[in-house]
Amino acid sequence: MDVPRIVRTHISTAELNPPQELIDGVSNGQVGLLEIVKALGEYLTAAEEEVRLKGLTFLSNTLSVVSVSKINRQATQTLTNFYLSKLDDFDSLPPALDGLTILSKLPTFDDEAAIEVYKGLVENVNMKAYIQATRHKVYVLFDSLLALHRSALRSMGTSFLNSYTKMVDGEKDPRNLMLLFSIDRVILLEFEVKDHIEDFFDITFCYFPITFRPPPNDPYGITAEDLKLALRGCMASSPYFARMAIPLFLEKFATLTGPSMKDLQLSIAACLPVYGAESVRERAGELWEGIKTEILYSSDTSIEAAALCALEALIRTLYPPDQSPGGIAQDIIKECLEILNEPEKTQALAATKILAAIFRSSSSAGKFAISQALPQLFRQFNSPSLPSHRAPILSTISSLLLAIQSVYSSSESHRTQQDEQSLEPYHQGILDVLREGLRTEGLKAPAIQGCTACVQIPGFWAKEDVENVVRGLDDILVNDEDPEIRPEVIKALTTISTHHPTIIESLTLPLLFHNLPDTAPGGEEHIAREKYRSILISLKELCVQTALFQTLVIRITTKLDLLSSPTDKDIDMDGESQFDRRECTIAYCWDLLHALQGVIDMKIKQKHGDLVRYFDQLVPRLMTLVISSTSNEGVFGDRRLIGLIAKIVESLVWELPSERQSKWFAATYDAFEKGEWRGVVLDKSITSSGSPLRVGASSSEKDLIALYSGCVQALKLDITLPFSSSAEFLSSKIHWAIHVAGEQWQVKWASDLICAFVNKREGDLKESLETILDSIWTKEIQDTSADLEVRQRGLSVYLFIVKALSLLRQPLAYSSLERVIDILSLSNLDTEFVGFAANALGILAQGKGVGHLTAKLLFAQKLWNFVLPKLIEGDKEANGTGRLVYLVAFASLLPLIPASLCLADLNTILPLILRSLSLPDPQQRSNAIRTLTSILETATDSKEVDKAIHTHAETMVESLLKSAIKQPKVPTSAKVRSSALSCLSMFPDIIRFEILHKYKSIVIKELGKTLDDPLRNVRKEAVECRSKWYRYGNAV
Amino acid sequence: MSRQLDNDNPTIFAPTASTSTKRIQKGKASLWSEEALLEEEEEEEYYPELGSGSGSKEDREDIDSEEVYDLLRSITDPEHPVSLEALRVVNPDDIHVAGNRVLVYLTPTIPHCSMSTLIGLSLRVRLLRALPTRYRVDIRIKSGTHQSEHAVNKQLNDKERVQAALENKHLLGVVEGCLQTADKRGKA
Repeated sequence: MDVPRIVRTHISTAELNPPQELIDGVSNGQVGLLEIVKALGEYLTAAEEEVRLKGLTFLSNTLSVVSVSKINRQATQTLTNFYLSKLDDFDSLPPALDGLTILSKLPTFDDEAAIEVYKGLVENVNMKAYIQATRHKVYVLFDSLLALHRSALRSMGTSFLNSYTKMVDGEKDPRNLMLLFSIDRVILLEFEVKDHIEDFFDITFCYFPITFRPPPNDPYGITAEDLKLALRGCMASSPYFARMAIPLFLEKFATLTGPSMKDLQLSIAACLPVYGAESVRERAGELWEGIKTEILYSSDTSIEAAALCALEALIRTLYPPDQSPGGIAQDIIKECLEILNEPEKTQALAATKILAAIFRSSSSAGKFAISQALPQLFRQFNSPSLPSHRAPILSTISSLLLAIQSVYSSSESHRTQQDEQSLEPYHQGILDVLREGLRTEGLKAPAIQGCTACVQIPGFWAKEDVENVVRGLDDILVNDEDPEIRPEVIKALTTISTHHPTIIESLTLPLLFHNLPDTAPGGEEHIAREKYRSILISLKELCVQTALFQTLVIRITTKLDLLSSPTDKDIDMDGESQFDRRECTIAYCWDLLHALQGVIDMKIKQKHGDLVRYFDQLVPRLMTLVISSTSNEGVFGDRRLIGLIAKIVESLVWELPSERQSKWFAATYDAFEKGEWRGVVLDKSITSSGSPLRVGASSSEKDLIALYSGCVQALKLDITLPFSSSAEFLSSKIHWAIHVAGEQWQVKWASDLICAFVNKREGDLKESLETILDSIWTKEIQDTSADLEVRQRGLSVYLFIVKALSLLRQPLAYSSLERVIDILSLSNLDTEFVGFAANALGILAQGKGVGHLTAKLLFAQKLWNFVLPKLIEGDKEANGTGRLVYLVAFASLLPLIPASLCLADLNTILPLILRSLSLPDPQQRSNAIRTLTSILETATDSKEVDKAIHTHAETMVESLLKSAIKQPKVPTSAKVRSSALSCLSMFPDIIRFEILHKYKSIVIKELGKTLDDPLRNVRKEAVECRSKWYRYGNAV
Repeated sequence: MSRQLDNDNPTIFAPTASTSTKRIQKGKASLWSEEALLEEEEEEEYYPELGSGSGSKEDREDIDSEEVYDLLRSITDPEHPVSLEALRVVNPDDIHVAGNRVLVYLTPTIPHCSMSTLIGLSLRVRLLRALPTRYRVDIRIKSGTHQSEHAVNKQLNDKERVQAALENKHLLGVVEGCLQTADKRGKA
């Protein structure tokens, strides 16, 4: 290889990165480094600066890419010396620094070299003369020397420290400072800095407080917060700073405000523990004054929090565990208690926080604080100067208990009630005020908080104490109507139940169940109804726990049994009021069942394994209730109850293991196909008049389809079926849904059954499915002379099957769907049916839903990508009202797709969405608005979306306003109005003001109309939306 | 602290009882719990209706004093980061709604409070923005709670003066600051 030639060409063409050829040569030993240096010789020593610089840069670049092992000790030494000689050459400095940094990291670079390089730097480089980038290189080199040759530098002693502080003095660039602060910290921590501490103080504290504000679009991404943290690290790295730093802090208290004040407080918090008790104690009083002002008077909560941190650091520093709590802590506590003499004032809140902070930060001072505060607070509570003072006093007590709990129950603090016994003397006192609080109006909320805290302090309350307060809590639960308090009580009881489940089981549950009425409250008994509802809400929260669930199951099923048989009271009534009575009972049963369902769902979510055990206790019982009602017109024949029970059955059957599921399904099959109820009910005396699905069955018998459907929807994929031909089973259900079912409600449950069955047994059905679909299409749907309702039912069943297949991404789904899309073009001929078809595509949009259908990944995407082009094409070819059908179909399908999918072809979809906003049906408009909302939510992530929505912003605002305002004769719904309003309220945050500024006044004026909406919830959205628009464009 | 506060240690009260005392529901709404009605609605939504859709069945819920209170409670005091509700400057009992008229009494924390006009102005701006135009709003100092009650009342209910105040950029900025939190409506 002709090294001199390569070097020559490169230098002369100013291509200063070494060619691959040369690098390879060095790596495989063909070329020695020395050779390159030799070849560079004439350039390295050239008289023209420019040429010298090129030579040097080429050398440094070469070093940076060749393998480390190729640079031996001698080469290292020679190169180091060579570079050192270049340090006083102004222009050559940057490449020389690069080279030295590379060399400094080599194992062949020894301590002596490090010292030499360091000395060379401080002697030859005048930092002030160089630009930021060069200075940065110097610091990088320092950093490398310090990382690898720390002890050598340390051994230089004074000469190092002196020269270092001079060298870095006056640096201003944030990028360099970030690096310097980290170097400073290392030196301060590891070097003998005591005698030089003033110099270090000068080069660190001169930056405090940091007021840096990064320029907009700062490519380096250094924030003020980064700098503050780095500087704080330096300030808190040497105890020797204390002498100068504390006076500086004290001085700054008077002048700083806002973020700088916060910085000051946090810096104090970081520094005091390092500076040590000795030096802090002298100025503790003054420090406290400065901290206090920010806690008591600050209007910024983040500054207050920072000041509390500072206070904690102060106390922690002054009062280690073995230090007696004399001095400043005493004064602070005294001051707080003074303030607490007026417990209703704002400062009392702050005083409470101060006491809590003292407790958290020191066991000795904390214990002392408690011993001073609690007796005074008890005294105040028991004989308040004003009755209204009791609530804030109790709040203070509870806040302190909460602070105590947070310390004692955390394993990190290593402090426990057993060790410190700080609460022991006040055991009775605490119990007394809390119980008094639970009994008294206006004191309940803080009392509940206090109780929750005490229960969670390990080793504080005995079982009797907990029972005591649980009784008080139960009393509130049953008797208090305040809707704000009740959730608090439930939360407290739930917390208690995790620590003491037996207490809840033996005290709370019996009381709650006792307060559930045995008969439903009458139509006008609103209060009684509210009361049982609130009890059910409590039970729903409490009984999720395994230990308590059993009681719930027994009690609720007993109640339902009672309610299922008409009482004498009911029978006496005459026609109309009996109907009301029945409705009341149904509503009550619904609430009971709904509570049960809520607990079951929660248990499933939390994966409790005990549900299966309750299957036999629950399902046959619920089935009995419903089935026996078909013959005697009992309340459980009501569809709302059947529907709810069917869902509960579905959840519970799903939890069964496959084998038991097979058996259960076989029994259900016998029941519904043959009228053999014995296998599925508890009461074996129930007789049947045959299969409820037979032609000619009564409407209430047909309603039982819901239970069948619930069971099928819960089936797992691997169970054994009780029949041989799945196709036959399916066909019979399809026939039933289209021709036998009486009403829409029954069709709905049958369709769900069909959909679930196809989805789960697609494997068995494979060949026959196409025939089945064909025959539905030709026999039930295509015949325009047939009854419209039959055709509509046919189509919806057809679409339910398509949905089941589309979830599995079966090709048959798409070919079958094509027919439906094709008939959209016939809107002139078959108007009503085609309109229905466009709407019915919404069936596909429900996706997997909350049930137990199987769905493959990306099924929605595949379906959408199949349908969308067809709809767009159809829309283009159609004209006039014909286009509307496609738009309806589009809007009906919208809920199917996630926003991310819209973003892919936003430019096609957005105009369609905008057109959909003017559809007459509020349901479709609200679909469109929902999709639009989710597109807007993602707007900040993508430039394209951002561009598209800015282009269409005006149109969107106009259409949304139209949907938001209730106008006479325009069909609308609360949902579409409030979703339009909440969508509209996103604009001020997303769309740049200059795009919409001329609309601001129009929007505000138009939104004025929405303030008068008949519904309160819509008005609320309107107010929020309008206030956002008022703020739009105002400088923040 | 840049300026001496008028009242540097005002009394704080616990939040007033509830976000909404139960407005007694009538008819079907009372018999069936909210979840039940919601479920019914969802079902209608998911299954395409055969035949015509159901008609709208919205009962009008009139604006009452509770709703007005809800609009005002979370406005921030100009001196402290505390809501007017916590300072009891506005109280649910001091708001009256009748027909198209709204009357709000505000209670300053101290009788010489120089902020009363500013608070009153914030209340007015909030209601101007959040109530339908058909309402006429009166904002008054609660009788006997302020030294210059009469003057403040006059200022707060004079259209021109309110308008003039709102044209003052700085003043409007302060009012906007107080209103920042208004949409919390008692929620933390």
